[in-house]
Amino acid sequence: MKIIYLAIGASVLILTVWNLWTEKDWRKQATAAMVAVPLLLRVLLIK
Amino acid sequence: MKKHQTSAAIISVLTLAACAVASATFLEHRKVEPIVSGPGVSEIAKLSKWYPGLAGTPADTDVYILRGKAPGASMLVLGGTHPNEPSGFLSAVLLIENAVPVSGTLYVIPRANNSGFSHNDPQEGAPTGYHFTLPDGQARFFRYGSRATNPVDQWPDPDVYIHAASGQALSGNETRNLNRGYPGRTDGTLTEKACYGITQLIRAEKISISIDLHEASPEYPVINAIVAHERAMPVASQVVLGLEFSDIKIGLEPSPKNLRGLTHRELGDATDTLAVLMETANASQGRLRGRTDEALVLTGIDPYYVKAQKLGRLYVPYDEKGHPIEERVGRHLTAIVEFALAMSSEYPDSPLEFQGVPEYQALAERGVGAFLRTAP
Repeated sequence: MKIIYLAIGASVLILTVWNLWTEKDWRKQATAAMVAVPLLLRVLLIK
Repeated sequence: MKKHQTSAAIISVLTLAACAVASATFLEHRKVEPIVSGPGVSEIAKLSKWYPGLAGTPADTDVYILRGKAPGASMLVLGGTHPNEPSGFLSAVLLIENAVPVSGTLYVIPRANNSGFSHNDPQEGAPTGYHFTLPDGQARFFRYGSRATNPVDQWPDPDVYIHAASGQALSGNETRNLNRGYPGRTDGTLTEKACYGITQLIRAEKISISIDLHEASPEYPVINAIVAHERAMPVASQVVLGLEFSDIKIGLEPSPKNLRGLTHRELGDATDTLAVLMETANASQGRLRGRTDEALVLTGIDPYYVKAQKLGRLYVPYDEKGHPIEERVGRHLTAIVEFALAMSSEYPDSPLEFQGVPEYQALAERGVGAFLRTAP
């Protein structure tokens, strides 16, 4: 189960980072970055 | 490079920098502060000795064994079942660093939920830890952890936690609460495996009495109290009387038969040990508290709890002096000594006697730091 949830987290992280780099509005880019922080920390099993 | 790619690059760099800073803080929390073995420690084992399935996992934890020169009964003290309840952990540390059994054997697990010490709870604003200054000027630091197993070690939580042995349903995050998982099982979660390891230790070592040390919010009804399994009631009653003679007021509650997964119920049912749990008053885990910092953990001084007391909302006396850690640790340690006396009285053929345990008054006068050993 943990592996599945990590895979889901990694998938959402990839989509979020993709959104960050394709989004034109810097404010939405910043929002995507904030979403990415907890996802990255969980995928790396840091927090 | 297009304009939005430039901003994306800048934001990505800032994000990675924020992640690096946050990661350093979170990883720092996993460092284990030393506990110095005192003159009574005969052996330090791992819990995986009793359940090898824990070996190499974050739930494996140190078991300090203090053997007396004379044979007798055995006592298990669990500190750190909830790592956000510091008096239980500190009482275990002071036993390890000071106690010398004369007869019988003392087993101490200071970090019963080892994983819970590696993080703290989000949105609680809890401090990372707290310090004590030793007589030689050295500062000893201890972590303020979480009530539950680190989700990095056990994830995800179910929506509803079903206690395996009884079918009791609790909220999903209780699946990481060590004191809801007893007697544990080998094919369960990491927390349930830790419970199983402790249960196996009790069975294998024929532990006479098991004491689980806790703290509770001042607004929680079961506080400054002993909760005892029905077989432990005669001994616990003697302890209450003994503490009264020391002018320490303490309640005695029977372990509810329909509240499952807790030490005072499951360890008493699943093993031959006399199972008890003790609570002191900790404002830093309460819902009514104000600023949550190291001072609150150590002193318990909080104006909002004084106000709540005046409104009659608390189950423990509360004034401007708070409930300092010396008082809370002193209550636990004095009760442990009283339990040893009561066991010796109830079962004179297998006595249990400790020396060197810091006394209530001495703790109040000299502080916890006076009884900690210099760390290497």
